Amino acid sequence: MTVAPQSTNQNPITQAAAVVDLGLSACEAYGRDDLAGRLAAAKRSLTDPSVHIVVVGEFKQGKSSLVNALVGAKVCPVDDDVATALPTYLRHGDEPAAELIFEGDPPRREPVELKDIERWIVEDDPTPRTTGVVSAPATVREEQPRPAGVEVRLPRRLLAGGLVLVDTPGVGGLGSAHSTASLAASSMADALLFVTDASQELTRSELDFLAQARQMCPTVVCVQTKTDFYPAWRKVRDLNQAHLTAAGTDIPIIPVSSTLRSRAVAANDTDLNNESGFPELISFIRDRVRGDATTRLASEAAAGVVAVAEQIISQFESEKAALADPAAAQQVVAQLTQVKERVEALKSAAARWSQTLSDGIADLTSDVEHDLKNRIREVIAEADRAMEDTDPADTWAEMQSWLESTVAGEMLANYTLLRDRATALSEQVGQHFQEASGEVLRQFPVFNPTPLAGSVDVDHNIDLEKMKVGKQAMVALKSAYGGAIMFVMIGLMTGITLGPIALGIGVIMGRKGLRDEKKKQVAARQQQAKNAVRRYCDQVSFVMGKDSRDTLRRIQRELRDHYTALAEELNRSNAEALRSATEATKSTQAERDKRIKDLDAELTRLRQLKQRAEAVTAG
Amino acid sequence: MNLLDRTRSVLDRARQLYRGTGHEPRLAEMGERLDEPLRVAIAGRVKAGKSTLLNALVADRLAPTDAGECTRIVTWYQDGHTYQVTAHPRGEQPRQLRFHRDAGAIEVDLNGLAPEKVTSLTVTWPSQALRTATLIDTPGIGSLSDQVAGRAFELLAPEDEETPADAVLYLLRHLHRNDLDFLRAFHDTEVSQPNPVNAIGILSRADEIGVGRLDSVASARRIATRMAADPNVRRVVQTVVPVAGLLAETAATLTESEVAQLRKVAELPVREAESLLLSADRFVQQMPELGLTSIEREALLARFGMYGVRLVISMMRHKVATTATELAAELTDRSGISDLREVLSSLFFERRDVLKSRSALLALDRLTRTEPRSGSEAVAAEVEEIIASAHPFRELQVLSAIRAGWVTGKPDVVAELERLIGGAGAATPLRLGLPADADDPTVAAAAGDALARWQRRAENPLTGHELAIAARVAIRSCEGMLAALQERR
Ligand SMILES: Nc1nc2c(ncn2[C@@H]2O[C@H](COP(=O)(O)OP(=O)(O)OP(=O)(O)O)[C@@H](O)[C@H]2O)c(=O)[nH]1
Ligand SMILES: Nc1nc2c(ncn2[C@@H]2O[C@H](COP(=O)(O)OP(=O)(O)OP(=O)(O)O)[C@@H](O)[C@H]2O)c(=O)[nH]1
Ligand SMILES: [Mg+2]
Ligand SMILES: [Mg+2]
Repeated sequence: MTVAPQSTNQNPITQAAAVVDLGLSACEAYGRDDLAGRLAAAKRSLTDPSVHIVVVGEFKQGKSSLVNALVGAKVCPVDDDVATALPTYLRHGDEPAAELIFEGDPPRREPVELKDIERWIVEDDPTPRTTGVVSAPATVREEQPRPAGVEVRLPRRLLAGGLVLVDTPGVGGLGSAHSTASLAASSMADALLFVTDASQELTRSELDFLAQARQMCPTVVCVQTKTDFYPAWRKVRDLNQAHLTAAGTDIPIIPVSSTLRSRAVAANDTDLNNESGFPELISFIRDRVRGDATTRLASEAAAGVVAVAEQIISQFESEKAALADPAAAQQVVAQLTQVKERVEALKSAAARWSQTLSDGIADLTSDVEHDLKNRIREVIAEADRAMEDTDPADTWAEMQSWLESTVAGEMLANYTLLRDRATALSEQVGQHFQEASGEVLRQFPVFNPTPLAGSVDVDHNIDLEKMKVGKQAMVALKSAYGGAIMFVMIGLMTGITLGPIALGIGVIMGRKGLRDEKKKQVAARQQQAKNAVRRYCDQVSFVMGKDSRDTLRRIQRELRDHYTALAEELNRSNAEALRSATEATKSTQAERDKRIKDLDAELTRLRQLKQRAEAVTAG
Repeated sequence: MNLLDRTRSVLDRARQLYRGTGHEPRLAEMGERLDEPLRVAIAGRVKAGKSTLLNALVADRLAPTDAGECTRIVTWYQDGHTYQVTAHPRGEQPRQLRFHRDAGAIEVDLNGLAPEKVTSLTVTWPSQALRTATLIDTPGIGSLSDQVAGRAFELLAPEDEETPADAVLYLLRHLHRNDLDFLRAFHDTEVSQPNPVNAIGILSRADEIGVGRLDSVASARRIATRMAADPNVRRVVQTVVPVAGLLAETAATLTESEVAQLRKVAELPVREAESLLLSADRFVQQMPELGLTSIEREALLARFGMYGVRLVISMMRHKVATTATELAAELTDRSGISDLREVLSSLFFERRDVLKSRSALLALDRLTRTEPRSGSEAVAAEVEEIIASAHPFRELQVLSAIRAGWVTGKPDVVAELERLIGGAGAATPLRLGLPADADDPTVAAAAGDALARWQRRAENPLTGHELAIAARVAIRSCEGMLAALQERR
């Protein structure tokens, strides 16, 4: 095994990939295929480092145009009226290609002609989405499933290196169910481009969305579009900057014109490109967004190499200790035997961390369920109260959208509870594992499990130390929760209707008995509406409850697998050390001297590897 | 007795009943309000272009407009003999304020009054346009300042009083959930309060729809038509009209010097002009040799917008219009303001009496319900009697029932019904689907046909219950038209 001189000034991904390769060959050289498995996973995530940039904003602010201008191609449909209805994922590919993505596990994919995607992306019926998202009635949907998204591959330099640009449907208004769904989806993003045009200041609903998004996503930037068209864009930008500062956020504003950029690209006009404001946006994406994400990914992978190196180093060091001083060798063996027992205890179901995990998941499941139940009960009570003094014939449409958005909000809160508690539990389990392993861990540091993450993930800002345990939970959380489930929920409401409104226009007949008759009809409609609300809430509770139970089960499994494997690794390292130490007691002086020399050489290499990996970790 | 007289008489009765109580002034005001011009509020989200549209309708730059949040106080613009501005501070006596008007809008000196302490301002201004309608400018909905955000709701959907507006123009930039919530809040759709009788939707800043393309106006028209057909929208507004308020305002106040300035750009070689017009920044900064200062150029952009500048230059170049007069006419035409005026007059002004008595009767209804006293039951019954029996109200009730989707039938039958009871406007030819200048015999023949047709429908056992009731109202409408024609002869 050799270590090539370290070249600075290189892409962190390439650097990380290089140390991971070295780590892999070390594992192979020392026969540690168990450790190699982990590094192989880290390597996979390095070769496909997806960095998701999600473009969000209210209707018609210029999201699709922005995405098109960024890649310099007309991919996303742009129109004065018809709106984007499906999320579109743009990623790198050697040839232009497109696929429809259908819901499923794993999602089903279906190739489609690039020129035909427009038909899928835009809404088939451009009636305004007044109650969240209009989706086809359940029956129609079953016959002809609507894709959940469209993926487009383009040979563009900007996209190389794993950048994925996501164009999304416009969000309609304050606290709508749809905007909650976008928020949930944005928690999965590496960065959020919030699009608002220069025609006016940010509105209350936009500012609220931004403030919330800032909590969910590490990098948020406000892109002000259409600067070519609005003479007062500088004034609007300054006003917005003041609003953002007043709201206590550090979100930067980048003013751009997609129209100028597209022209500049077509005419290869550098000056015009500079006028468009895109160079600033692109360098922001390159340096801040992709830079941050790749640095993070690289340092996670490198941290894995550090841990692998450390395990093998400590194994070799105990062997060396046994070899160097045959008198002490017995003691080393005794120590290692003791460690062996501990490690074995660590593996058993009776281990404290394992207990903590089972109990914790059980508690969490019931707490989350309880929380959801309470929330839904509150919503129903509020809906009932609201219906007391209105006539659903007039207010049902509003009631529907209110219900959708309130329920979505409560779901998000319930999800946040689950996420926070699961993270805390994961940390606690790690703590107990660490405590119980005590000495063992001091010798064999806990392997950082993050490379398992495989792709982009939530909560990048927790430091590496915390990620040891915290991230585990997030992997499972991400795969189950959030955006997807939210969008499913929104669809549910459309299935529920009030039934025909049996309202005569009897008022025209004169006034006798009119008031009584009217009251009776209103009361009947109120009952109908209350039932419909309950039906919807039942459905939501059912889907959501099942989803959170599944998610928790998956978290439990992942944590258990992770720590069991860790114990196994430690066991193996220990066993190797024990074996060599025992051998050492039996070997001759000459054999020992030779082995010590070998070990020293290996240790030097391993330390170099570790150092080099640490350099990548430090960024 | 016509509707206004019946309303006056029940108001008199109420005034006697409440004599000596604290409600006297309120009742007196209801009476006065009957004789005033129609009060039309202009509402919508922040920066929808409300103040600009108000100016366009008055054909004068009265209301201040700005790119940043601007209107913070509900401001009434009413006709009068003198120029004056009055503030109505919360819980205090109204007081007169100083104001000045240099280049454009009226700038009011609040004289130390905090804007949030002022319920409303009244600007009295001698103006022909304000004689038909008093216009009420409102702060935007969705404002960042909570103080301001609630103002429009306070005015149009007050908790404890009737709204002082008889009708509303509701500006939407594009259909937005908040917009609909707002409309619903304003329309308490109790069956006794017919709607959407007094609201018109406006797709505002229509020139911006294509964000710079010259076919914007056509695009805006298509979107407005589509919106107006949406059941959710139909429930709350009568129709949706696209208007580019800025173009209309500028057309109404266009100056020769502005035209001369733009001509300099129009006279440039096409390529140079195109490059200059590529962006607002370029228009302000490039080609210093043009002989226009950047301040002049900024002023042009503020007055015309990018679209307006491009449009004027293209019209000059193609000789569609070259003089200030011609340009003003073209701009007015394309702004959609004339269409809006027509719609306003057929849906609001020709129904002035109905809308006025509607406001008064609703106010009375509220008063008798919230402040009952011995004898108020009888007044309430009379109010209800008028609402239930006066034919114009029945028409409005059927209209809102149709809009709410409660009256069903073949689409063309329902469409005819809607037109016949005044859905497209109260004028007789409009109701019969005839040109406005149709002669009396033609009109009479058409009315006779319609009468026979709807009599058949009303009696046909296959006609649905709701449609049959509505048919009877339509029959009354036809009879009314025929009677009016008879009288004229
Ligand atoms: N002049 C100009 N027009 C723009 C710019 N960006 C977008 N537009 C126009 O704005 C309108 C809406 O643009 P889209 O990109 O479809 O907006 P969107 O946010 O994707 O819209 P939805 O998907 O419907 O929510 C179109 O008419 C575009 O031509 C810009 O930078 N300059
Ligand atoms: N291009 C264009 N711009 C317009 C139009 N109407 C208004 N504007 C511009 O939009 C901005 C806001 O217009 P205002 O009339 O002040 O809007 P508002 O709804 O009264 O605003 P607030 O009172 O602050 O809620 C100004 O910069 C106007 O010049 C229009 O029809 N076309
Ligand atoms: Mg779009
Ligand atoms: Mg204003």
